[in-house]
Amino acid sequence: MEYSPGPILSNLAKALEKQYRAHEAELMWKVAGYFDDFQPAPEFPDFTSLVRSLTADEAEYLEPVRQASAATENKAADRGALRAATWGGKVNAIQKSLADRYAKKGDELIEGKKLFVCEACGFMFLGDQAPDICPVCKAPALRFAAVA
Amino acid sequence: MHAVRNLRLCTKDCVCLFVCPTGATDTENGQIDFGKCLDGCRRCVDACPSHALSLVMDNYPSRPAKDTAVVEALMNFMEQKHREESLAKALAASAATSARAKLAKALAVSLRILAEDGAREAGYMIPQSTASKAYLEKLLAERPVVAGKQFPEAELRELLQLL
Repeated sequence: MEYSPGPILSNLAKALEKQYRAHEAELMWKVAGYFDDFQPAPEFPDFTSLVRSLTADEAEYLEPVRQASAATENKAADRGALRAATWGGKVNAIQKSLADRYAKKGDELIEGKKLFVCEACGFMFLGDQAPDICPVCKAPALRFAAVA
Repeated sequence: MHAVRNLRLCTKDCVCLFVCPTGATDTENGQIDFGKCLDGCRRCVDACPSHALSLVMDNYPSRPAKDTAVVEALMNFMEQKHREESLAKALAASAATSARAKLAKALAVSLRILAEDGAREAGYMIPQSTASKAYLEKLLAERPVVAGKQFPEAELRELLQLL
């Protein structure tokens, strides 16, 4: 397999939930779950390499999406790709900033606070209460999940 | 097209119960009985005072093919975010403090959402689409191995039949 099946399948499972096809969604979640450990876990995981990776993403993975979208003849067909790169860039910046601040401040940064993730776009928020509206994708507070 | 109910919006006014000609809106689980619902009827959709009912397509049109360079860039983005997700999950599993584990877990959740967004825009948006079904067929044919797990063949076959 050229690419990891996990995210493709979990995205399809979520799409089936949105169509209220509960049984099909359950089946798709099972197939997606099979691929949870498809990628071997890194043997010595460390925060510094995650920060480094997140820092490089803007130039190495987001800019190519924007450039390919801009170069395509049929621009209207790729509004979605540009949208994904726009939100992806903002969320990537937040991920990087949080990981970076944690690398500098340590546990003190997180302790006593809650962490929320927007289920629509991935935006992360550190605080007592989820924002009323997601600053990246404008989803309402009910779309935020608190991570325990 | 058949009706679906968003239970978050439903205010139990139950106007749908008497406008529905087939009784498809009267169910134990609160969802519409898709088997009884009439194609495109939409009486309950128009009657609902809380806009909790809407129509969902049974057959989706296939979307125009994307530029291969755009698809490749999006898939590379997906793969990279998924790699980082695996790293974040490993960080959460090996974290010495609960604060560290919480941040790593939240990062993994967020990274998966970005990876899914890449997959969605690369062409795997609608499960019923030709591309999605061809992908499921490919998985069934190639049966990628994951150590210690049984390949979900029955689930894949049932999905392909239902979609």
